[in-house]
Amino acid sequence: MSSAIKQGQWAILLWPYLLTTSIPLDCRDEQGGLSRCPSISQEKLLDRVIQHAELIYRVSEESCSLFEEMFIPFPLQLQRNQAGYPCITKALPIPSSKSEIQQISDKWLLHSVLMLVQSWIEPLVYLQTTLNRYDGVPDMLLNKTKWVSDKLMSLEQGVVVLIKKMLDEGLMTTTYSEQGLFQDDGQPEMLEYVMRDYTLLSCFKKDAHKMEILLKLLKCRQNDIHSCA
Amino acid sequence: MKKVLEVILLLLLLVVTHAKGTRYSPPGKPALTRCRSPEKETFTCWWEPGSDGGLPTTYALYYRKESSDTVFECPDYRTAGENSCFFNKNDTSIWVNYNITVVATNALGRTFSDPVDIDVVYIVKPNPPEQVAVTVMEDKGWPFIRVSWEPPHKADTRSGWITLIYEIRVKLEEENDWEMHLAGQQKMFNIFSLRSGGKYLVQVRCKPDHGYWSEWSPSSYVKVPDYFHREKSVWILITVFCAFIFLILTWLLHMNSRSLKHFLLPPVPGPKIKGFDKQLLKNGKSEEVFSALVATDFPPKSSNYEDLLVEYLEVYIPEEQELMLEKSMDLDVGCLKCEGSASDSDSGRGSCDSHTLLMHKCDGVKEEEERQAKEAHGPGYWECGLSNKQPHLLHPQAQAQRQLQARSDDNISSIGRKQTPAGLHSPARRSTEYVEVERVNEEDMVLLQPVSGRCGDVEGYPEMPYGEDYSKVKGVDMDNMLLLQREVREETENCDTSSTVTTTQKPAACIHSAMPVEGEMVLGVNGYVDTATVCTPPTY
Repeated sequence: MSSAIKQGQWAILLWPYLLTTSIPLDCRDEQGGLSRCPSISQEKLLDRVIQHAELIYRVSEESCSLFEEMFIPFPLQLQRNQAGYPCITKALPIPSSKSEIQQISDKWLLHSVLMLVQSWIEPLVYLQTTLNRYDGVPDMLLNKTKWVSDKLMSLEQGVVVLIKKMLDEGLMTTTYSEQGLFQDDGQPEMLEYVMRDYTLLSCFKKDAHKMEILLKLLKCRQNDIHSCA
Repeated sequence: MKKVLEVILLLLLLVVTHAKGTRYSPPGKPALTRCRSPEKETFTCWWEPGSDGGLPTTYALYYRKESSDTVFECPDYRTAGENSCFFNKNDTSIWVNYNITVVATNALGRTFSDPVDIDVVYIVKPNPPEQVAVTVMEDKGWPFIRVSWEPPHKADTRSGWITLIYEIRVKLEEENDWEMHLAGQQKMFNIFSLRSGGKYLVQVRCKPDHGYWSEWSPSSYVKVPDYFHREKSVWILITVFCAFIFLILTWLLHMNSRSLKHFLLPPVPGPKIKGFDKQLLKNGKSEEVFSALVATDFPPKSSNYEDLLVEYLEVYIPEEQELMLEKSMDLDVGCLKCEGSASDSDSGRGSCDSHTLLMHKCDGVKEEEERQAKEAHGPGYWECGLSNKQPHLLHPQAQAQRQLQARSDDNISSIGRKQTPAGLHSPARRSTEYVEVERVNEEDMVLLQPVSGRCGDVEGYPEMPYGEDYSKVKGVDMDNMLLLQREVREETENCDTSSTVTTTQKPAACIHSAMPVEGEMVLGVNGYVDTATVCTPPTY
């Protein structure tokens, strides 16, 4: 746990670095014009995307633990097995074993990642607003969720660029919309809502891990498809 | 045949009775103890069986995946050992919740355990790191240990499927405390600050970023070579430096030894009496010591005499007046005498200097004195010898001057002590004569008159023992009155007789009676009654 906190703090310290890494992800080639930012190689881009995913996973893990400590009564806490509640993304066709992952193509990998990322952008924004209304919520938790939310958006952009580079497909990034799937109900202190938020956090943690693994496997495949057993 | 049947019946009976005696029950509740995955691709679950209820019991594990309701049974009960279920790669899905239950079945029923939800991603406990290699290396003469290892071969860290972080612990062979080092994701680590010649144990373990720590790898031993000589040179330097400082301190101490000694042990002051012989004191003979004191400087010689003596009062009497004085008989005179009374409280100075001046002039003595005075001193000074020891004693019946005119200014001076005339046969005794100023005449001359003396001037004055002209206090009665002794009274009577001859003055009241004296006023410094104050001059 303490090492996770250390890593999270390290992640937050690296914020400016991540910002710089995210900037090239932002740039798009304009039609008929020279691109304003230097183009980045595919490997480097993939590395940075993977770093993003790693950091997002670590920070989300810490946020989940913090929330659990503060607001969840002990009997309802997820045990070490961490078998969580049904997640919003369970419907997504994400491969769930290594053998499965090895069988799907790069395209599907990237698209899976993108799907995951895009499906979490809005819930995280919602989570930010709802966490603000908790009584005695520590600032660190709010900062982390905010950070994760922002990083997720830049990750999305990076994956889009990656897809474009690797697969040569042009895709649109999700537009940020005020209206979301989640209704902003009052009375966040009721256990039901607390459990809902808790579920959100733990599911996101899991999905962040999924993103990380998928991207890493993709990277391995890029380097040497045979050694990635 | 019959026997066989009987035996069989007996056996059946035994079995039946035996069977009726024990109780059978459905099996107790089993419990899943733990599930672990070594590489996030397979996993194993173990359970603890409950009581079997006396009957042979079978166990079965059923699981259900998160999103479906299909119940599956454990595919492999054997690979992982007794009471276990092993899920291979095909049956393992990550990021998916498994709901697992164990069922115990026997002839009488079945019992379900509590279901357990797991996600394989979170139950990963890798194997210990492998190929731990420990070597001693050197960095500018200082040795250090380099530890290197490999991840467990089952864990797929190369593809990034698992990310492992490592931890190392080191200790000396003979100690109990481990020194922990977190190595992160690297596979190599350096350990510094080693004890020379020590033998170290090194162990490594690993953990995925979301799971359990592995077991420690088997200990690796390493011996650090001796680099003692380097440490020794430092010690030699320190020793030399300390010795140098020590020498400086010693030298400083030696230079200041005397003042230091005086500071710590101040010298005891010895006796500083002149003529005091320490040796005699050490010998323990006090008489010799004191006699030595007496013999040498005590009493002080004439050279220091002036310090001790009271100043003389020099009275200048011109010759005409002298004759006049001689002839007048009316005056009560005593010997011209001034005596320094030891009981006088003002620092041993004689009563010549005090306000009451009793001068008693004796005829014979006076004449002798006159002669002597004239012989010795031309201008005819009266000498009033004041001394504590040998009073200037004059014959009591010598004609004395009643009135003396003493020049107040120039003629009064201190002169040397006049020796007692050898011809005087008067006993060496002390007596006090006082002179009082009657009035100052127009020529600025002090007219003196003797205070009616009481003692010492009577011819044939009985000898009194030394020190007996002091009044001795017999006692203090209830009214705080001092009762003086009788001798005083006799003395006063004697004085009385003489005084009628010598004086026309009204004798002092003290002569006739033993005057009760108020105790506090009269007691002198040394407890004696001061005669000067006893004989208060009659008021005029």
